[in-house]
Formats: sequence, structure tokens, C-alpha cells
Amino acid sequence: MGFVSKGIEKFGPAGLVVEAILASLVGILLLVGFIVLRRWYRARYFHKRNQRTVALRSQWSDILSGKIPAEAWRFNALDCDIVESILLDSIEMSPAEKLPPLLECLRVSGLLDMRIYEARTSRGLKQRTALLALGRTRAMEAIPALAAGLDSHLRETRIAAVRGLGRTARMEAAIPILDRIVTGHFDAPERSLKNSLVNCCRSDPDVVVNYLERTHGPVRELLARVLGELASPQLGEELLVLASDSLPEVRASAARALGNTTTSYTLPALESLAGDPEWFVRLRAVVALGQLDNVGKISILLRSLCDANRHVRQRAAWALARMEPQLDQILEDVIATKDDYALQSFVSELERSGAIEKIAGGFPGSGRHSAGTHVMEVVAEARKRVGLTGKAAAAAGAH
Amino acid sequence: MHFLAISNDTLFIYYLLSNVIYLGLLIVAIVKNVRHRHRLGSQRLELLKASPFTPPITLIVPAHNEERSIVGSVGALLGLEYPCLEVIVVNDGSDDATMEKLRQAYQLQTARVLYIADIATAPLRAFYRSSVDQRLFVLDKEAAGCKADAINAGINAATSPYICVVDADSILEKESLIRIMAGVFADPGRVMAVGGIVRVLNGSRVVNNQIEEVRLPKSPIEVMQVIEYLRAFLVGREAWAGFNMLPIISGAFGVFRRDLVLQVGGFRTHAVGEDLDLIIRMHRRLREDNRSYHIDFIPDPTCWTEVPTDLKSLARQRARWHKGLIDTLWPNRDMLFRARYGRVGWLVLPYMWIFEFFAPIIEVVGYSTIILALISGVLSKAFFLEFLLFGYAFATLISIGSVLLEEMTFRRYSDWREVARLLIYCFFEHFPYRQLTMVWRLQGIWQYLRGDLQWRSMKRVGISPNPVA
Repeated sequence: MGFVSKGIEKFGPAGLVVEAILASLVGILLLVGFIVLRRWYRARYFHKRNQRTVALRSQWSDILSGKIPAEAWRFNALDCDIVESILLDSIEMSPAEKLPPLLECLRVSGLLDMRIYEARTSRGLKQRTALLALGRTRAMEAIPALAAGLDSHLRETRIAAVRGLGRTARMEAAIPILDRIVTGHFDAPERSLKNSLVNCCRSDPDVVVNYLERTHGPVRELLARVLGELASPQLGEELLVLASDSLPEVRASAARALGNTTTSYTLPALESLAGDPEWFVRLRAVVALGQLDNVGKISILLRSLCDANRHVRQRAAWALARMEPQLDQILEDVIATKDDYALQSFVSELERSGAIEKIAGGFPGSGRHSAGTHVMEVVAEARKRVGLTGKAAAAAGAH
Repeated sequence: MHFLAISNDTLFIYYLLSNVIYLGLLIVAIVKNVRHRHRLGSQRLELLKASPFTPPITLIVPAHNEERSIVGSVGALLGLEYPCLEVIVVNDGSDDATMEKLRQAYQLQTARVLYIADIATAPLRAFYRSSVDQRLFVLDKEAAGCKADAINAGINAATSPYICVVDADSILEKESLIRIMAGVFADPGRVMAVGGIVRVLNGSRVVNNQIEEVRLPKSPIEVMQVIEYLRAFLVGREAWAGFNMLPIISGAFGVFRRDLVLQVGGFRTHAVGEDLDLIIRMHRRLREDNRSYHIDFIPDPTCWTEVPTDLKSLARQRARWHKGLIDTLWPNRDMLFRARYGRVGWLVLPYMWIFEFFAPIIEVVGYSTIILALISGVLSKAFFLEFLLFGYAFATLISIGSVLLEEMTFRRYSDWREVARLLIYCFFEHFPYRQLTMVWRLQGIWQYLRGDLQWRSMKRVGISPNPVA
């Protein structure tokens, strides 16, 4: 090394620069060395992990039944990690009847307690990992630890707790989330909250309705959107109350939910919502009407086809074009509306869905060709009236 | 003599500052990348795909004379894993068989939709919808001679709250959309736009418009670009986004909130660098409106794109990029050092002026004065040698740092020989490639000053099922 220090001395005042050069070179060597070492270590680790996975998989039924005591693998970090991964993956994919032995293995081995302890006492990444793992266990005893995570001052931890609770897919897990949401001061991404609540409340949407009654403003909108996904015929007349709510988001959700019901009040409620002042409520109502198997919806959809909003018109056209047995009559009714935009939307939807051919096939008597020609004449005349020739179609872009 | 000494000192400080800033960005990028990976570990993409709350997105694919690749590209886009997708291909007056190929492959039928021209564009010829896949729309329009106009037409026709602009000749990985949208889901109220990483496709094996095997290209000029892309995306954009100062989202792959794009008037027609221009105008608008926002970069959603394989094409591309830079910086010069534009006006824009726009000018002046100083004896050979060595070592350190970041995070180049090649090329990137880039960027400045804003085509090898030789 003598020549290096001599060189630095020779450069005199610029010695600092030479040191900087040397520091850069050392930095380069360190980075290259780190990359090489990391590659080598990872290759070795994955090879070893593979070997242990094969070994543990071959003894899996004994591990699960307890014939191989937990002590045999529990205190080896690699083995413990592999067994936990396999258990959690199995729990996620298993139907309810196959869960007990898997959960029992988690409990007996102390893995569940270890995760609960980590979720309660650790901080940062370790805590978040524990919260997510607890969610995957779908175990009841994990819920209090997950709920405690909701009160963390760190946003990332709260998000992990929300996700963890969602993954349990248990109604009981929704309660801590809902309790905090209704305060209006719980800060977590809306999408994570909604996804978790939908997962947890799928079997019992009544829970959301109970909380909805106690909320207002953005929280109420959030719960309404969740309810829109969950609502089922079991909710019954609750939906009628929601359909007349003052918040448009709630009315839109009620409309969405009504699409899944087939009660006597469904059609009148949707008819009322299809005339709502808010376009997205009308859109939801029209989409819901499209799902119903009821010819009574035709007159409502015809009115929606003349809506001022193009999205509502398009969805109404979409729904009408799928009512195959009544298509010829609907076509006449649409022409009778004398609404150019309604006709344009409907004809476009008929062409796109290929339903024009079906209308032709549906005419009895005079032969398929002539019936088809007749339908096409009706459409052509209607087109002529609204100026829908090739050029006019492009010009429609100006609207 | 005095001037030469000042010039040399200035160049030294400039070079030192530029590399120190980049070193800082590298450290920030490493920290942000690690955090992102941890966050990603807690998200399950399959749950996002199944969620009813995943918002719809419209992919806008501007296409001009893309007959060779358009059918495959559109097929790959329709195959992306995203629950509610709409694909709008905008045929920008192609004079080859682009439209015909699309018509045949996807059985296009004229659709009569109400097209509301929120942003003015060249006239439309027709609007088509596919009978094969109802998510696909094709908008045929008159050529306007610029990509921005085609994108704007697509934005007008889009029906989703989010739009994603994708180049017709690029390949998106199957999960790239859901991954990039995960960035939006993190804070939908604040996140206005998200960029994904663009990687070099050359050399990789492509089957059915999907990357089958990631390989490094063979030719040095392409490998240099791989390092450049890694440094620009994994270090530069990642770090700037960490401070909410991301100045650009690549035109090849980015997601934007449609309402905001409409508010800023869409992509600026005839802008040379329309992607940079849009993001700067977004910053401007959001800061003027005093809104809380974030324009983010997510490093794992990947778009693979072909880069120039010959010097001539590369020279054109770099000159164009530099023209795009000036074309954006100059109209937005009023944002500099103004309190209302915050860190964008105080940090990122001055950085772009000093270390991006002026870089080739300062370098060429610096090289000239160093040579003059050496000849006239103002500069000692020892100092010259030190300066050269220091600059070289520091810049190499940063290049290796970006390879390290790639290694620590995504490891797309799994073969150790590929990584070894990348590392070796890091040592050769700063001579003569860097100097060539400097010349091309100077050409860009010259062309801009002359008013030459022409888009010169790039020679493409095309997506090949076998590694590009």
C-alpha cells in the first residue's frame, strides 16, 4: 500500500480528491461483492429450503396428526416457516369441513399463539406480517389481536389489520372495523375497508344495515357501497327504506341490491329509482332492471332509453336488446318514442349483439328472407329518419 | 487563463453535484423499493382481481402504421389480468394495413356511440366495436401527425375513471395493470397518476406477445440502454416519486385519472415530449388548485419495449427526447422558484434545467476548456487525471448501484452471467457512450432552436419469438 499513500502525498492539496476516488473504487468493490455474495447466499438458501420442503411434505400427514411432535420442527426457523406456509395455504384453500385438523395443528404447535404474540408486541414489518398471517388462519381467537392492530398509530399497520380481518371472512371480524368506522376518525384506504367488510359480512349483511342506520356522510356512503355488493333478498323491506334515503350513494346501492331480489316491491322500487334526479342512481336502477326476468320492466327501460344521460341510455338499450321474444315489439315502441338518440342507442345495440338477425328469424309466415327484409326496412326507415347513414354515424361524434 | 481556471472549477463542482444528487436518489430509491416490496407482501393481487370495488380502466393504444404487430399487441392487451377492462385502439390515419388487420382479426363492426370531443382532435372516420371481444373498440381517425392527438381521441371515447396509455409496440406483463392500479388503491383520493417501469425488450424471448425468457441483448449499444433504463426508472423515478416530485410518467406505460387529464386539456398536441409535458401540467394544475395529491411510480408493473439497435436510430431518439425536454421546460419556466409550485418549482424543475437541459452544453464547454487549459498549462495533468478518474469511478458506482437495486428487488435477469455482463458494461458506459449521448442531445437543442420538431422514425427489429441477435 506504500505506493498509494506516496501517490496521495505527491498530489498534495488534491489529496482529498484522490481519497474520493479511492472511496468510489471501494464502493464499487463493495457493491459488486454484495451482489455476488447475495446471489450465492440466495442460491444456497433456496436449495436448502427445497430439500426441507420435500422432506416435510413427505411427512405431512404425520405432522398434521401430531405423530411427529411439533418440537421436531417448531424450533428450527426454516422448518417452522415451511410448515406455517403450507398450513396457511391449505387453510385458505380448504372448505370449512376440512379446517379443524389444520387449525388444530396451528394451535397445538403454538404457531397461532406465537403470531398473536407478535401481532400484539412487535412493531413494523414483523407486526404487519403477523397480522396478515393471523387473518389467513381464519381462527376466532385471532380476531382480538387483529382488532388491536386497528388502533395502531401507524397507517401501514392499520391497513394490515383491516386486511387481516377481511381474510378471516368471519362476521365477527367485521364488528371491530365497523365500530371504528362509525366514529368517522378511522384512517385506512376505503377500498381495503370495503373489501374486508364484503368478505366478512357476506353471510350476514344485516350487520351492515344496523350500522348504516347509525351513520351519515362519507361513512354512510362507504357502508352503502358495501351493502350494494352484499344485499340479498333476505334484507327484505330494509331495501325499500334505503331506496328512499337522502344520500344518492345509498339509493344507488339499494338499486344495485334490488337487482338481486324478486319480490313484489322490486319493480315499483326500481321504477322509482330509474327516475331519480341523480344519473348514477338511474344507471344502477337500469342495470338492476336488466338483471330481472320480468316483462314489466320493458316500459321502464323504454323511458330510460330516452334518458338525458348517455350511459343510462346505453345500459337501457343493452337490457332491451336482450329481451329476445319481445324484440320486434320493442323496436316498434322505440321508433314510436320519436327520440333519435334512443333509436340510435337501440339500433346500435341490436347490431352489436347480432339481435337484428334474431328479429328476422322470429317473423312467422312469409319466409325467413322476407321477414328479415321487413325488419331491416323498419330499421332502415328509422335510420333514415334520424339520419344514421354511414357519414352520419361519424358525424354523431360531434354530439 | 483566469476564465479557464473558473470554467474547470465550475465543471468539477457541477459534475460532483450531479453525481452526489444521483447518489442521494439511489439511497432514497433503495429505501422506497424495500418499503414497496414489504407493502406488496401484504397485498394479494388475486383478491384485487376478484374485488367488486376494483375500478374499471380504459387502455388507450395509439397506433400509426403498426400492421406488423397490432393484432398480436391487441390480443396481449385483451389477455391482461384485470377485471373490468376496455381497450380503445386509436388508428391515427395509418397508411398501411393496420385497420384492415384489426378488422379481420377482431371482426370489427361499426358502432354508433356518442363521442363527446371534450378535447379537440383531428376528425374521426368511424368508431368500431369488436364482435369477438366486446371490450375492444377501434377508433379510426384522420392522421394528425402526432401521438398526442390519437391519445386525446382515446381519452374522449374512454368510459372509465382511469386511463392507461400503452404503446402499440410494447408488451405489458399479464399482471402489470392490477399491479399499477394497486398504487392507486393505496390512496385513490390523492393518487392522480402512476407510472410503471419500462424495460428493454431486445434480446428477450417472446411467445404470443408475452415475455417467455428475459435475456440481455447481444450488442453493447443495447446493453448500455438496459443500464440507462434501470438507472432512470429504478433510481431516478422511484426517488423523485418518493418526494412527490415525479416529473415524467413514460408515454409507453402510465395510468392517469381521466377527469384530471380532461381538466388539463389532455395531451398537448404537437408536444415533442407529450408524456413529460402532461405530468408537468398536472403538477401545475394541482398545485394551483391547492389540492393534496400524489403522482407515483411503482417499480414492479412492467412494460417491455424495443429500444434502438443502431446508432442512427438511437441518435434520433435521444435528440427527440432532448427536444421534448426543452419543449416542456420552456413553456413552464414561470413555475421556477415560485412558492405556489412548491418543491416542483424549487427542486425538480431547476434540477431538470441544470442537470438535464444544460448538461450537454456544460459538458461540451467543460471538455473544451479542460483541453485548452491542459495545452496552456493552466491545468496540471495530475488534476486532470484525478478529475477524470473521480468522475468515472463515481458515475460507475451509481450505475452499479442501479444494477444492485435490480438485484435486490426484481431480479429479472436470473442468469448470473447476464448480471456479470451488466456489471462489466457499467464500467464501459461512461466512455464513449456518454459522450455520444452528449452530442445527440446537443443535436436536439440545435434542431429545437431551428424549429425542427419533426418526429423521425426509429428502425425497429420487431418483436421476435427468438432472442434478437
